[in-house]
Amino acid sequence: MAETSQARASPSAPGGDAGGEEDKHDERMLECNICLDTARDAVVSMCGHLFCWPCLHQWLETRPSRQVCPVCKAAISREKVIPLYGRGNTKQEDPRNKVPPRPAGQRTEPESTSGFPGFGFGEGFHMSFGIGAFPFGIFTSTFNFGDPRPSAAPRGTAQFEEEQFLSKIFLWVAILFVLWLVFA
Amino acid sequence: MANIAAKRIKREFKEIMKSEEVIGGSIKLGLVNENWTELKGEIAGPVDTPYEGGTFLLEIKVPETYPFNPPKIRFLTKIWHPNVSSVTGAICLDILKDQWAAALTLRTVLLSLQALLSAGEPNDPQDAVVAKQFRENPRLFTMTARHWTNVYAGGPNIVHECNSKVQRMLDMGIDEHQARVALSSYDWDLERATEQLFG
Ligand SMILES: [Zn+2]
Ligand SMILES: [Zn+2]
Repeated sequence: MAETSQARASPSAPGGDAGGEEDKHDERMLECNICLDTARDAVVSMCGHLFCWPCLHQWLETRPSRQVCPVCKAAISREKVIPLYGRGNTKQEDPRNKVPPRPAGQRTEPESTSGFPGFGFGEGFHMSFGIGAFPFGIFTSTFNFGDPRPSAAPRGTAQFEEEQFLSKIFLWVAILFVLWLVFA
Repeated sequence: MANIAAKRIKREFKEIMKSEEVIGGSIKLGLVNENWTELKGEIAGPVDTPYEGGTFLLEIKVPETYPFNPPKIRFLTKIWHPNVSSVTGAICLDILKDQWAAALTLRTVLLSLQALLSAGEPNDPQDAVVAKQFRENPRLFTMTARHWTNVYAGGPNIVHECNSKVQRMLDMGIDEHQARVALSSYDWDLERATEQLFG
């Protein structure tokens, strides 16, 4: 293996076609400085160095505390690279928006077996409509039955009655909405 | 091995074979195994240095995360240099550590190592004993480095003073390399070197 590879790459192999060599030189202009292959989803840094976006992205991920150009060590950042679009490139999508996905913080909703997140009956019935669980935000309310929360108004007062009443209304609206979701 | 690492090493290998340094014989690169994870490098000692005429072998291990992380390189040939361990061959060079950049290649690394032989950096040493001699006794440092180059790297410059002192210790039944290390570390003071070995 070692010998064959060496023989194949041997400098003594005469360059038969000079034109071919020239073409190769042109191609190298468009090679990614990291994988040394023709740049795909090409981006260019402010210092003028060309990379595949996936390659540069991985470099920036490897050294989050030292964001420098892999060629000239100038400061570099995700926001300050320019995507390159060649002619005939029909879908001119910013490569930074596709592979690999932006490593932003991600929130995942907890899995629910009933198919309806945050809805359940039991002691101290507690129901909340989280943002994202419902297509609208007006139900972002919390319902409490059983043990009132410490912040709730004392039992027996007018305010307590009013809160109970409002809670019930909201609960009925919510239940109607659920039924609508199920049967609509 | 990760696809990108093997692919890049293959590409680098092809290119380095066509480079003027390889053609000129100042650096060499060979494969050790078939999955491109380990290579063998060779650099010629730079002219006008104590390493001139010597050939220095390097172990090159390519991590799976290459080129996002640097190759792991150490000297296989014993060398007397402030930035290389005289015991393990470990190298202290910034580009092989935190100053690595993904666009650096095995060719640029080998050339940087060659440059390191031309200009040691005693303030960031790998071998404290060598670095101290480099700073405080440059004449002895040059002599020692030249002697090691002659003995271990096939350099042509024989240092008779060193050879005869090593021979004296050999006659006492001391292992040759051990004797050389002791003498080199004690500025070729035969008495102190012997004392240290028998003390
Ligand atoms: Zn690339
Ligand atoms: Zn740059």
